Amino acid sequence: MRPILLHGHTRSLTKVKYNRDGDLLFTVSKDAKPNVWFAHNGERLGSYDGHNGAVWDLDVSYDSKRLLTASADNTCRLWGVESGKELFRWNTRTAVRQVAFAQGDRMALYVTDATMGQPSTIWVVAIEEDLENQSDEFERKIIINGPKATVASWGDLNKTIYTGHEDGTITIWDAETGEKIKSVKSHDSVISDMQWAPDYGYFITASKDHTAKIFDAKTLRVMKTYTTQRPVNSAALSPIRPHIALGGGQEAMEVTQIGGAKQGKFETRFFHLPFEEEIGRVKGHFGPINTLAFAPDGRSFASGAEDGFVRIHYFDDDYFEFNYEEESLTA
Amino acid sequence: MAPSVNEPPARNWADDDDDVELDAANEATLGLPETVTVEQPDGTRVTTLWKINDDGKKVKVVRKTRMRLIKSQVNHAVAERKNNWKKFGEVAGIGAGPDSNSTSFAEKVFLKLSSTVKDHDAPPVEEEGDSLKKALAAAAKSKISCRICQGDHWTSKCPFKDTHTPLGDLGNNEAKDSGSDAGAPAGGAGLGAGGKYVPPSLRNRGPGEAMPGSGSADRRDDFPTLRITNLSEDANDQDVKDLVSRFGHTSRVFVSRDRETNVCKGFAFVSFYQKDDAQRALEKLDGFGYDNLILHVEWAKSSRD
Repeated sequence: MRPILLHGHTRSLTKVKYNRDGDLLFTVSKDAKPNVWFAHNGERLGSYDGHNGAVWDLDVSYDSKRLLTASADNTCRLWGVESGKELFRWNTRTAVRQVAFAQGDRMALYVTDATMGQPSTIWVVAIEEDLENQSDEFERKIIINGPKATVASWGDLNKTIYTGHEDGTITIWDAETGEKIKSVKSHDSVISDMQWAPDYGYFITASKDHTAKIFDAKTLRVMKTYTTQRPVNSAALSPIRPHIALGGGQEAMEVTQIGGAKQGKFETRFFHLPFEEEIGRVKGHFGPINTLAFAPDGRSFASGAEDGFVRIHYFDDDYFEFNYEEESLTA
Repeated sequence: MAPSVNEPPARNWADDDDDVELDAANEATLGLPETVTVEQPDGTRVTTLWKINDDGKKVKVVRKTRMRLIKSQVNHAVAERKNNWKKFGEVAGIGAGPDSNSTSFAEKVFLKLSSTVKDHDAPPVEEEGDSLKKALAAAAKSKISCRICQGDHWTSKCPFKDTHTPLGDLGNNEAKDSGSDAGAPAGGAGLGAGGKYVPPSLRNRGPGEAMPGSGSADRRDDFPTLRITNLSEDANDQDVKDLVSRFGHTSRVFVSRDRETNVCKGFAFVSFYQKDDAQRALEKLDGFGYDNLILHVEWAKSSRD
């Protein structure tokens, strides 16, 4: 396959995400300019200009009309996807780390960092259809006592909020009351990514402890563990095959010039979901991969790395034909 | 960033960037024949152009292209976005199609999925004790159990899968025997139940066991297997895998090694999923020069024959 190389960012990527239809790819990086691209040919549709600091996270609404971005300039912003205009802004006291639309797009959450004496906090805000009525008041505020949250997302039907923490803990919160429902520490280090299975039955986490794990959503039981030799920055579940993709590599600050890209293992690694075995890898980046996303149709995936590049890979036909011996026997 | 003046406004994004430069060069160097594009009856287009290369020589460039229209049905919201949305922000005002400043094609990369990927970044030797401990700890926790030797791996990955049948079919003595010396080469299990010598051809046959080929456990042996000999001493699994994987998916790549020195003994077995792939590999690799030795490839004889 021949990847499409997108170089619209001047600094390292922090997140790439497809919209629901899979035709748009949103990318954010530390250079303060979120971008949107057509996924099929890599054409840049536009950039959302306005942030003054690194952008840590993004989310796009179900109808692909609105975009939320979380930035280190102490704002969380809402954008019109088509116009590129800023529609609304929430000012915060500390950097915003994570942002997510709730299912239905009438609510959203964002997570602020624990710095300058402020605790790490989850803010739940209402998103109005009509922006005239949009308020910057929060609906709910969940203060996280303990290690700060590094990833956050909504659980099924917006009843719960899942957070991953700096120390490897995963916590479920009641979205209505803000109470802590369950907390499990299964990773040894920072949780760097969390992505849901389409049916919200399980999710995958990536951690700096060199592993990725699949958790049962209700019980937080570890169902599968995928071990690598480098910190894992991102883990994605294929929507159509029993495969997962892991991105990571040596920390950027530890990469020596002599070692070069070869030593850092800056590859996207594919594992077989139930068998927990590596089945293939894709080379290309010159720095650790920070973020991975499968297209919703499962026929392509995008990776964003510390080197500032985004690569869109469309799978060759033989990717879809590959089966394990055991799989083909039952088929 | 802005398109150059002499660039046609409706330039297709798929056009190679070099074309523009060549056109410019053409105009600069008068006296060269004009670029001609001929439509061939079979639908291909042949473009002939002339240019002066870096050494000052006249060069004729013939480029054959075939256009293929791929139609796909999309959601109307997607079509609306693709056709009607205007660019904004940093790229506002730039014409349709990817801008070569921000979008390009990377080098081809390959994703060959296979169940025999070897991990290159396994920890180096000095960590061996540590990693062994970890592996043992993991083995203790793991629920995976091989049906053949009850080791911590899938049955299909068992080092004894070619020589042993699943434990359930054997006497209990034998089961302990082969279970305890997991990791040693299969030859170590030469003693059958009761310590009596059993000829290799009859080994691992429990009483009443079916003849080879009829049991379900034998099915994996049915994959067409090649025997590669005259391999270099330096060859490892990955080398052989790289060598054969271009012919098709392999279910197993095994390089025979010396027990003590871990050096390749000069032969390897490769099982393919498809007989055609194996046949092609045999034809192509037999007599192939590899690491200054000439490979000899033949069909492997089944261990039970």
